[in-house]
Parts: sequence; structure tokens; C-alpha cells
Amino acid sequence: MIDMKEQILRPQAEQRYRDELEALRLWDTGNKKPQNWNLSPKAVRLFILGSQQPIRCGEQEISIRKKYFGNDALIERCIITLAGNRGLMLVGEPGTAKTMLSELLCAAISGCSTNTVQGTAGTTEDMIKYSWNYALLLANGPSREALVPSPLYVGMERGILTRFEEITRTPAEVQDSLISVLSDKVLNIPELGDEGLLFARPGFNVIGTANTRDKGVNEMSSALKRRFNFETVQPVNDVALEKKIILNEVGALAESAGITQPLDEEAAELLATTYHELRTGVSREGRRVETPAAVMSTAEAISVYYQTLMSAWYYGDGQMDEQTLVENLVGAVAKESHEEMEKIRSYFSTIVCNRAQREGGAWSRYYKARNRLN
Amino acid sequence: MESLLQGEKQAELIPFSLQGPVLYYPVRHHSPACAYHLERILEEYDPDCILVEGPENANELIPILTDANTAAPVALYYAYRDDAGLLQSEEGEDPAQCQCYYPFLDHSPELVALRAAAARGIPGYFIDLPYGEILLATRDACGLRTKEEKISYANDRYLANNRFVTRLCERAGLRSFAEFWEKYFEVGGLYRTSEAFVRQMNTYCLLSRRNTPEQELIEDGCLAREAHMAQRIQEAAQQHRRVLVVAGGFHIWGLLHPTGQPNHPKLPRDSEMVYPMRYSIAATDALSGYASGMVSAGFYGKIWAALHQEQPTQAWDSTVLHYLVQIGRRLRAKGETISAFDEMCAINQARGLAELRDKPAPGYFELQDAVLSNFVKGEASLSGSEPMRILRELTMGDAVGQLCSGALVPPLMEDFNRKCQQYRIRLREINKQEVTLSIFSEPRHREISRFFHQTVFLECGFAERKKGPDLRRRTERSLIREIWLYHWSAGVESTLIEQSVLGSTMEETSSTRLKQKMAQANRASEGADLLMQGFLMGIGDVSDQLAQRMEKLLLEDGDFLSLCQACSSLNALEEWQNQYDERGTYDYPALLRRCFTRVLQLLPSMNTVDDTVVQDVQYACRLLYQMTERRSFSDERPELLRVFELLAQKQPIHPALHGAVLGLLYGADPKWQEHIKYTIAGYLLGTAGMVVRSASFLQGLFYTAKDLLLIDHEFLCQIDTLLAELTDEEFTSILPELRLAFSYFVPMETNRLGRQAAALHSADPKSLLREGVDAEEYSRIERVDAWAAAQLDDMIEEGEESDE
Repeated sequence: MIDMKEQILRPQAEQRYRDELEALRLWDTGNKKPQNWNLSPKAVRLFILGSQQPIRCGEQEISIRKKYFGNDALIERCIITLAGNRGLMLVGEPGTAKTMLSELLCAAISGCSTNTVQGTAGTTEDMIKYSWNYALLLANGPSREALVPSPLYVGMERGILTRFEEITRTPAEVQDSLISVLSDKVLNIPELGDEGLLFARPGFNVIGTANTRDKGVNEMSSALKRRFNFETVQPVNDVALEKKIILNEVGALAESAGITQPLDEEAAELLATTYHELRTGVSREGRRVETPAAVMSTAEAISVYYQTLMSAWYYGDGQMDEQTLVENLVGAVAKESHEEMEKIRSYFSTIVCNRAQREGGAWSRYYKARNRLN
Repeated sequence: MESLLQGEKQAELIPFSLQGPVLYYPVRHHSPACAYHLERILEEYDPDCILVEGPENANELIPILTDANTAAPVALYYAYRDDAGLLQSEEGEDPAQCQCYYPFLDHSPELVALRAAAARGIPGYFIDLPYGEILLATRDACGLRTKEEKISYANDRYLANNRFVTRLCERAGLRSFAEFWEKYFEVGGLYRTSEAFVRQMNTYCLLSRRNTPEQELIEDGCLAREAHMAQRIQEAAQQHRRVLVVAGGFHIWGLLHPTGQPNHPKLPRDSEMVYPMRYSIAATDALSGYASGMVSAGFYGKIWAALHQEQPTQAWDSTVLHYLVQIGRRLRAKGETISAFDEMCAINQARGLAELRDKPAPGYFELQDAVLSNFVKGEASLSGSEPMRILRELTMGDAVGQLCSGALVPPLMEDFNRKCQQYRIRLREINKQEVTLSIFSEPRHREISRFFHQTVFLECGFAERKKGPDLRRRTERSLIREIWLYHWSAGVESTLIEQSVLGSTMEETSSTRLKQKMAQANRASEGADLLMQGFLMGIGDVSDQLAQRMEKLLLEDGDFLSLCQACSSLNALEEWQNQYDERGTYDYPALLRRCFTRVLQLLPSMNTVDDTVVQDVQYACRLLYQMTERRSFSDERPELLRVFELLAQKQPIHPALHGAVLGLLYGADPKWQEHIKYTIAGYLLGTAGMVVRSASFLQGLFYTAKDLLLIDHEFLCQIDTLLAELTDEEFTSILPELRLAFSYFVPMETNRLGRQAAALHSADPKSLLREGVDAEEYSRIERVDAWAAAQLDDMIEEGEESDE
């Protein structure tokens, strides 16, 4: 498994946190556990929100890292929803860690985060439920062997969670194929005749994610909405926390890429503040800021920071500089149109300029790098 | 938590022994768990005296609070007027007026303690410093002397708002102090013995105290209060064998170890006032947050009721279920598809969350989470969705208290209540009530209208007139009914209590206030307005007494506009007196005549008014003219016309006023028509500056004599000719004011004029009509308009910011 981790670009949550999950499994005795769950709700919460003290695992002590920063109560609601009769629908702005959260929940509860439907405009019902191996189908007729299970089928059969990413990007009629399965917990396969009923095993549930920027693309039917509990994942609302997330995530990315350069905290603060202010439209001094149309999520900030770090690592002298940071910021913001750049320039000429004069230091260097905005 | 006690045992720090002569019971205001365990402690300890934290100048009111017919929520209203200047920081300041509320709910431990004392027939009284002395012991802008509008005596901020609490919540993964408190004390507390509960309270409160700087305690007057309370406890312990002290948990340490010095300055008599008042749960909620105990008072009230109806351990679960069902029902009534299954899922989630959070039963926060997860479909926020709004509304509650009959309430308050009863005005409704009054045909309705006017005049925020003839603004005078909206709130009662020093009835208080205001008035317009308000409030006799003062104001006031307004008000007052057949004892016609004469004296000097007041002067001229149309004033007409002539001859004169005065002169004598034609030609054919002002002249003229254009075709021809001679640029520059000038014509008249003007140029009138705007075009223009308005707002906002 460790070899896998080294060979693949992005290890799955259950691989990445294998040690933590194992430690929690050993620790998790005496807590009530829903049927077929790998961990109890309390252990799942601990896995996602982290523990203040390390957990003993045999001879070792394992620290459980905090993986989700933000609303703890939201995590608790998600866990309890998954233990109940309803599916869980995570909605929110892009880049608010909905997918990461759904992966973590699946890894902790079912030990598998890969049982996933990746929703697109081209998603069809057979990508969700099941399709056929046509060679076997033609040779032997409809049989269980000829059936190719899709994630919903797998989830029901094994009693594990099924993830449905970007559900509102799939056509409404395809989304609706979930309705009866979610209420009756049974999948009808007419081709298999009398044996064509798949009853869901305990532990089965669905976690969907939907992007609020896609609202109206393929609006979910109210019948389907009733079968889900909705949880709105809000962007991080605290600059210090956003900075911490940037440093944590970039640290993990750098480690996996073999980049050993120390992270620049000041750059993380500049970026966290810029993203926070451009997202909320208000500076910390209370001044109004024009918000760009581009997604100003923490995920984007991480990406900008990581690019800057890589530039410094591969091209520079190992020092992250504000010039490159601003260049990467331009690349991230000016996706829709060049008019967006006017907003960033205006942000620099008012807010950043003011702060450079008042605070100097990194803000001053950041302001000097504004020539890269052209 | 125990580990945080730095190794000391809390039992050694704050003793709690049911065998001791004094038992200190720590509370948090409005906490059902504290009240629940207090009931048990009362049974076990069986005190022969109960002392409660609260300003002791309200001790005489305790029988009212504990009366069987008094229903919570009620509050004590404390007020202090600093006539002696003891609180003033600077000389020359007005005497400070301070007030605060001490609200009591059924589940307030303090009320439970006082009721228990009454039921057992043992003494029970407050032991804190009187309110005025607390203020004197407090530094300006601290504690009960903060500058907030509503101040609660029952202040919990020491328990809820310090570094220690913030750290504790962070570590426990809890959202707020409220959630922390509910988990460990409200829900968890029920599963502990009373003794264990008290020990936990003492531990927590002691830790909070240790994390509060001593300087803050001194500035807030906390130490002085504690010293005084400790002294009272000592005195009680000498007289009684078993004394139960019910005080805020934060103060228990201070009561055991007083360090401040009780200071008893001599306060002037009558500087302090305290009254019981009924309160509403909404007002308690408004005082809540860190300031005053538990939020969502209705929810905790329900818990308190459930604790007395079923197994205490079931109370929380059943209350959460009750609210989920209620919210489901309300949502269904609003057309939402919330099924019984949704409610089942929600209660299961609330229970599951409680288990996950190591709570023995779901509480308010699990209820909130369950509603958010199960009832909100789609993107949501805690504040922005209908289910959450209903949750807040229901858990806040709508209870309104009641005081027992014979309660010590100010006579003014009694009169208010009596009148409300007499006029069938409903005070126990939580929503605004509407009433329609036929003020001209029903004498009773007129009385109610007067009563409402009195409440408006006394600024108690009780009633507002939605529709009806407005004498003061001279609008909607053709209406014969008044529609009033009224709504009782705790603020109404507190305002009336504050004003109760002015009189014992609504009439008397309004009269005193009217006299005070009249004495302070220094403009004729203010005086006349007050006389009018007196008439509306049905205290015309008082107005009559004050009319003498009005005479003085008329003589002293040299402001033309103020005198015009006064004239207008007195004129309207006289008209209404005649209409109601309620003429006063004062000679109002003579007063009006004197006012008229004063305006007339000043009018000739108004020729050079600027654009901002010219309309007021125009209005005044027309008013004076209209007044002389009345038989009683007809003898003033020649003098008025003489003044108008004088004014019209003045140079320079504002063109709009010029036009208006000439219009009025024409109304009195058509021979002025030629002069008007000559004048308008002068404007339109004059220098460039005069051309621009011609539209303003026309506006004034049409304001007072628009018929000139309608009946005299020659006049129309002249204007048409003159306008045709203007260059495009000149015409465009006067167009806005020209439009304003023609706005005095009704559409039918404008059409007629348009047809006539078209005929002058041999044009088809239909060709002048603009095509109608279709819906799409209209909405597009509307969007552009909205966009432009938003841009302007932004520009203004930016301008303000840069000014800052």
C-alpha cells in the first residue's frame, strides 16, 4: 500500500490516513456503531476534526490531524445524517472542501472513498446503477455475471457509502433515478427476473455534492430534495484559519512532491487576506472592495501559493517572492475576462497601498509587485 | 473542568453544606436547571429566611411579584434621576437619568426563591444596594452605567464573556457559551444530584471570576455591591437560624470574602423610583445574549413546564419533539412539503447528535441542527431561511405577563390600562392590531382617537396612524375615517412609568407635557403645532390656557416661514374647531388675524428669497389669499392685494414668486391679464439669463392661476409664439422647469392644451402623441433606472467614505 502511495499522484483518503484510521479502529471500542460502519460516529468525528491528544495504537502513539476547518457542528450533522434514512447533500461555493469532506466521511465510515459517480452533463443512468458486459450478455443471457455494477449498485450490495459528485451537472431525469432507491433501499433489475431485486445492506447511503454556482443548470426535483438532508458548506470566514489551511495543505502537497523548501508564512497571510477580502467585499478596515466574478475559494488560494512555491523551488533561489505571487494571482483571477483585472488593480491601488504605507514589510513588497498586474 | 482548578478542591473554596446556618445557592439568571435544583434544595434545607440578589429598594414590591394573580414575565423597573449631580462628570451637564430592568420569568431562580419564601410564610427579600447607590459605586460607562438603551440588572456577562470561556468552548468544540452552558448545566445538570450541580456551578463560576480582572470588578461596582450583600447576609444570620442566599454564581466568592467597602451616600428623596411592570418574553429575549441570561426564553420556559409535568429526564426530548412538530405544522401551513417522516428523521437526528455530543438528551442546539438539516432544502444559513425563522419565532415565545390587581402601579399606568379596557383595546396580543375609527360620526371613536394621539404625543411607541385626515400636515383631509395600528410592548409600559411623574391620567400627563413643551417653544410654528396637538388630544382647554404664550411667540418670532406655518396651523385649527363644533374659550379668530397681520408685514421683504424656500413663500401667498376668501377675513383682502402689488413691483424678485403673486392678483382682478402678458414677454424676450428664468415664472403663475391658459386662447398663442422664438439650446435649458410648470394641469387639461398648440401649427394632434411604451421596453428602462440609482448610491457612499 505504501508503494501505491508513492506511485500515484493523489492517494485516496483511506490510503493517505491509513495509520490514523487503523489507530481509531483499535481505539474505538465500546462506542455505539451503526451496522456495517468501520468506525463509530464519535470516531468518525475525531478522524475529521482531529484529537487534542495522540491515540495509542499498539506500541505507537498516533496523532489525529484536524482535516476540516470550519463548522464542527456541520460535521456532526453530516455523520448523524449518514447514520439515518436520508442521503447527505453537501452544497456550497466551489472550493469549500465539499469533495474532500465527502471523501473523508466515506473513508472513515466505509473505508472506501472511490465508490463514486462523477456527475457530468453526459452521465447516464447506467453509470449510476449498472450496465452490462455485452459479450457475456449475448453469450449467456442476462445474469449476475454479465452485470457490470455501477457505484450505486456497489454501495447497496456491500453496504457502503456511494458518493455522487456534482449531482446538479447531470440531467434531471438521470438524477431522479435515485429517488426510489433512496426511499425503498431496493434496486430493481428487471432483466434478472425473479432474482432481479437488490436489497441495500445496512451501511449504504449516498453523499451528493452540488455547487451553488451551478444553481439552475439542472435543478434537483423537489422529490429528490426531500430524500436528502442538505448541508451548506460555507467558505472559511477567518483569515488566520484560512492561512493555516493554506500552509497545511501546501505543506502536504510539497511533501508528496519532494519539495523541502520551508513555507513562507508572510506570503500565506498576504494571500489569505487578499482572498478573504476579495471574496467578502470588505477589507479588514471596513472599506468596500469590488469582488471579482472568479471563484475566490481557499482551494484557489492553495493552488496560487503552491505554484509560487514551485516557481521558487525550481527556478528561484528557494525564496518565495511577492512578484511571482502576484503573477500567479493574476492567472487565477483573470479567468473570465480581463475586466476582472481592473478590480484587482483597484484593490492594490487602494487597500494594499494603504496597508503598505501603514504596515510596511511584506505588504510593501506586495504593493511593489503590482507592476505584474499589467 | 476539575483539572482547571489548579489542584484545589472546589468544596474547600466554596463550602456547600445543608447543615450550615447560611447556604449560598449560585444561580444563572433565567436558568431552568438552577431553578429546578433550587426547588430541591429548598425542600432539603428548609430555610427560615431567603435572601435574593436584587436592589433592595424594591423590597416593598416583592408581595406583588409573588402574588398568585401575577403572571410572569414581569419586571422591576428601576429609575434614578441625578438631580443632585452625583453622577455628572462635567459641570453644566443635564442631570443624568438612568434606568434598568430586572426581568423575571417563571423559570428565573430568583422568582422561584421569592415565591417559595411567600409560600412558606418566611421572610424573603432583596439584599443588593439600592439602584441609585449601585450607579454611584459604578464608573461611568461601566456595568449598569453603560450607554446602552436597554440595561438589564440580571447581567450574566461575567459568566459568559471572558478569556476562560472562549478557550473552554474552543477546546470542547462548542460553538458558543450558550451551547457550553446548555450541555453541561441545563441538560447535564438534570442528571446530577442537586449538591453535585451546585458544586459544578461553583467550580465554573470561580474559574470565571479568576479570569476577570479585579479592576473590572471595581469599576463595575461589583465589589461594593458584594460588600453590601455580605453585610445584609450577616445581619440576617444573626436573626435567623437557616438563611438561604440566592445570588449570581459569580458573586458567591465575593459574598464569602468581601473586599469592597459598602458606601452609603445620602441620596436626595424622590431621586429613585421603582415599579413592577408586566413584561413580554420578546422583550426578555431582546435583553438577552451575554447581557441577560438565556436566549430563546420561550424554549427554556417550555422546558421548565415540562420538568413539572413529566419525568425530568424526558423533559428535553419531549420539548424538542414538540417544537419539531410545531415547526413542521407551521411550514405545512405555508405550503411547504414537510411530512411526518421528515419530523421523524429530524427527531432521530436530534437524538443522534445528542448522543454524539455526549449529551444525555437533545437540547436547543440539537433542535436547531435538526431543523437546519431536515427542513431546509437547498442552500441555507442560520438566519436566512423560513424554517430557521420559524424556529426562532417559536422558541422565543409570545408570552406576555400580568400584574395582580392592586399591584403598585403608577396611577398613569392604571389609567392607561383602564382606558384600554374601556375602549376594548387588546393589550395581550403579540402582533400589531388595526382599528378603524369614524371620528366624525362616532363620539366614542373620537375619544379613542384622542387617546391614541395622547400615546403618540407621550412617545410611548404604542400607536401609529396608518391612514386618515392629517391636521398637522394638512394631508388626506377629505377622509372621514382614521385607521390606527397599535401594539403593546414592554417599552410602552416603561415610557409611561417614566412619564408618570407628570400626571396621574393620560390627559393630565399629556397636558403637563404640552405645557412643558410650550414653555420651551421659541418659534411661532412650534407653538401653533402644539396647540393643534392639544386639540387632537382632546385637551383643548389646556391649549386655551397656552394660547396666551402663542401671542408672545407671534410677536417675538421674526422668521417669515415659521409665521407662515403658524398661520397655516392656526387656520387649520380654526377650521377643525368649526367642523367638530368644539370652539375653545380663547379667541382663536383674533389670534389667527394677528398671525395673518404679522405675515403680511413681512411679505414685501420676501422678494429675494432663494430657490430652496420660494415654494414655501408661494404656498404662504396662496394661503393668505384663500383665507381672505372666507367671510370673516374678507375685510383683509384689499390690504393683501396692496401687499401683493407692492411685492410684484419690487426688483429684483424671484420669478417663481413673481408669477405666483401676479397669478393671485389676476384671480382678484382680471385686469392684471395684460400686465401678465407683458411680463412674460419680458422674460422670454429678455437677455439670456431672463429667458432661463421664464419657465420659473410660468411655474409660479400656473401654481396660482392656471385657468389663465385654459380660458384665454390669446394667452396661449402668445406663449406659443414666444417659445417658438427660442433657440433649441435655450428651449432645452428651460425644459425641466417648463415641465414642472405644466405639472399643475390635470391630464385632460394638458391634452386640451396640446390640441390647441398643435392647431396653431396646423399639425395633427395625434401626431404629437407618443407611442405607448410596451412592457418589455418599460422593464428595460426600469432596469437602467435602477442601475443608475445604484451607481449614484455607490458614488455617494464612496464620497462619504473619502470624506471620512
